[in-house]
Amino acid sequence: MQFPGQGKPSVGIVFDSDLGNGVDAALALALLYGLEGKGEARLVSNSTTISNLKSAAFADVLARFYAGPPPAAGAFGGFQRPLPPIGMAGNGNLSGDTAVLKAVLDKTTADGMPAYSHGINRLNDTADPVPLIRNAMTAQYDENCMVVLAGPATNLVKVMDLPGGLELIGRKVKLLALAAGSYPDGRADPRVKADVAAAKRLLAEWPTPIVAVGTEVGDGLPFPGSSIEKDFAWAPAHPIVDAYRAFQSMPYDAPAPAMAAVLYAVRPDGYFKLSAPGIIGVLEDGRTRFTPAADGPHRYLVIDAAQKERVIQTYAELASAKPVPRQNPRFRNNQKKNAAPAPPEPVK
Amino acid sequence: MTITRKALHRRSFLRGMGAVVGLPFLEAMVPAMAIGQARAARAPLRMAFAYVPNGIIMNQWNPECEGKLGELPRILKAMEPHRDDILMLGNLTHNTGRALLDGAGDHGRCSGSYLTGIQVKKTTVDIKAGVSCDQIVAKHLADKTRFPSLEVGLEDARQAGDCDSGYSCAYTNNLAWKSETEPLPPILDPRALFERLFGNGVILSPETRARQADYRRSILDFVSEDTRKLEATLGPTDRRKLDEYLSSIREVEGQIERAEKTNAQIDPHMEKPYGVPADFAEHFKLMTDMITIAFQADLTRVVTFMMTREGTSRPYREIGISDGHHPCTHHQGKPELIEKVTQINTYHATQMAGWVEKLKSVREGDRRLLDNMMLVYGAGLSDGNMHLHEDLPTLMIGNAGGAIKTGRRVVYRKETPMCNLHLAMMERMGVHMEHFGDSTGQLSFADLT
Repeated sequence: MQFPGQGKPSVGIVFDSDLGNGVDAALALALLYGLEGKGEARLVSNSTTISNLKSAAFADVLARFYAGPPPAAGAFGGFQRPLPPIGMAGNGNLSGDTAVLKAVLDKTTADGMPAYSHGINRLNDTADPVPLIRNAMTAQYDENCMVVLAGPATNLVKVMDLPGGLELIGRKVKLLALAAGSYPDGRADPRVKADVAAAKRLLAEWPTPIVAVGTEVGDGLPFPGSSIEKDFAWAPAHPIVDAYRAFQSMPYDAPAPAMAAVLYAVRPDGYFKLSAPGIIGVLEDGRTRFTPAADGPHRYLVIDAAQKERVIQTYAELASAKPVPRQNPRFRNNQKKNAAPAPPEPVK
Repeated sequence: MTITRKALHRRSFLRGMGAVVGLPFLEAMVPAMAIGQARAARAPLRMAFAYVPNGIIMNQWNPECEGKLGELPRILKAMEPHRDDILMLGNLTHNTGRALLDGAGDHGRCSGSYLTGIQVKKTTVDIKAGVSCDQIVAKHLADKTRFPSLEVGLEDARQAGDCDSGYSCAYTNNLAWKSETEPLPPILDPRALFERLFGNGVILSPETRARQADYRRSILDFVSEDTRKLEATLGPTDRRKLDEYLSSIREVEGQIERAEKTNAQIDPHMEKPYGVPADFAEHFKLMTDMITIAFQADLTRVVTFMMTREGTSRPYREIGISDGHHPCTHHQGKPELIEKVTQINTYHATQMAGWVEKLKSVREGDRRLLDNMMLVYGAGLSDGNMHLHEDLPTLMIGNAGGAIKTGRRVVYRKETPMCNLHLAMMERMGVHMEHFGDSTGQLSFADLT
């Protein structure tokens, strides 16, 4: 929520992903929460393209984990807003549970309780992703919204199809960072193959510039497994650590195209290079093809060899950052005014 | 009255000097019709919205269960006898009530958008909303009834000024919008509503009414000749029904007269219209009795009823609450304030339960009047403390002529637009639209699986 008088807020991120299929989307969310904690971005909509309650539950686990503990009961307890809902694709094709999802959601504490809390047990604990994404966009200043898609385009195409959908997207969204495909060409990406028709429509009709982040960037800038072992050690239990360990046998470095997409969306300068403009096409088998065109609306991200170490270091630092309790912007001033007095200076 | 066929026309009236009294649905309106048309002669479907302001204490509104309704929570306790006639709808959202980029003013927005589905313009001067769904239906049915719609309320109907952080009172005090710049203010004065329903279109000033009070005759006196003629043509069942109907009009008339006399004695300077009862429950009953009669006589099929204006700070001394409603809702978690709001919410729901009882008591052929209705009882905010616009408290009362399965609670997916409900209701009222407001499709009343 944005209020006049508080200045233009940081960029709002609409994040739509196949969370739980791998670990890339989870790492990207962790990175995004890290950027949010620094005040550089706001996660305004979070949805999963997987029709599986556990995928949505995993998103809720992360949302709760990074929100930090709720405010203590008392003066501000009444002002605690509910966490934003998690959108979940409801296409009727229920996806199976993955090792990543099981590792996080089935983990228990020593006394048998779930290690991570979440509030998603039924379909109506999730949001319909189409109005969720649309509504989030309506609340952003023009061109102060970035969309990061790390999954099939199913949800976004439905947002485009809403009455006024294309106009809204064109007005509010500055850029779509698409973590799917291979560029300028290459192997078929499961994120495209999952809904080829939607990918075609997205790339043909999406009304803002698109920067695609291909598998080659994900492979070339992987998240370092060593970071999982050391940078996350501050938390006795961390859902990202459990997800990472469950995805593949340790040690390994995880391809992370969605992390690159998030980093580019929030910090567009200094980390990556961009291709020349062109047009991305989608073949029937899910492969993507980039054709240069001077006035084309698409580009793809290119690894800047000189920045490789810095990018990976940034991934590790931001994704492993401790949660920063988020304030309710509506009552930020009240909280400041009524905040507990500063602790007394230590006696010397 | 002219009876040219063996069957009475559905829109027959009893007429007399300055009086026009519609008739309830009578068996005599059916038999002369062809058998195939008999079904069509059934009482029509009506749509009504009853709105309460300032949100609800939701954990005392929402039951734990989904599907078949079990025991109702505290606020809705009075609705227990009507449990089988209720469909509780959960998780409906009005995104256009949210701040979006317009800052404070949730009360102005939530009522302005409630039936329009529009993010209203933040202004106190050049107001702009949208045509409300009730008015779309009213326009569609305009030639079917004497009044395309009725707008009724129990509180302030100011149309100008700033009622919430830069939002015009036109937004907080009206539900129905005939055009994007023309709200339809609710009628607050029982006498004004009575005269609208049964008069010849002339609304007397309060002073004139007061002068006439001592010698006023019942409106039924003016139509007595027509009444006698009609009774002579009716069978015993219809005669009884007509008698009950006319008695209910007389009763309302008597209540209005008593209120006018009482007010004149108590406080001649009171701000309320002359005939408005001081007691909230009495005022509620009087107005809803007249709405019931209007439905019964098919004077209208569309009603909006604003129980009190959005953002109201009305105290409820009737139930021992002298603090304003709105300040109480910003309880900041304080139990004593939450309790007061809960009591106000319960008080409102109790009045509604009385109205529902009345709607159930009126027979229309083989059904009850309520069975031919979609009466939505709800609010434009859920949590009034936080000004939340999601999971809006919404009851659908009545089964739309059997089209809606009641006695259940359906909780939709989060962010499901409230406008999806409007779209579905308009469809059942005969208005097909592809979309309305920020709808994403018609709401299905089936259980979510």
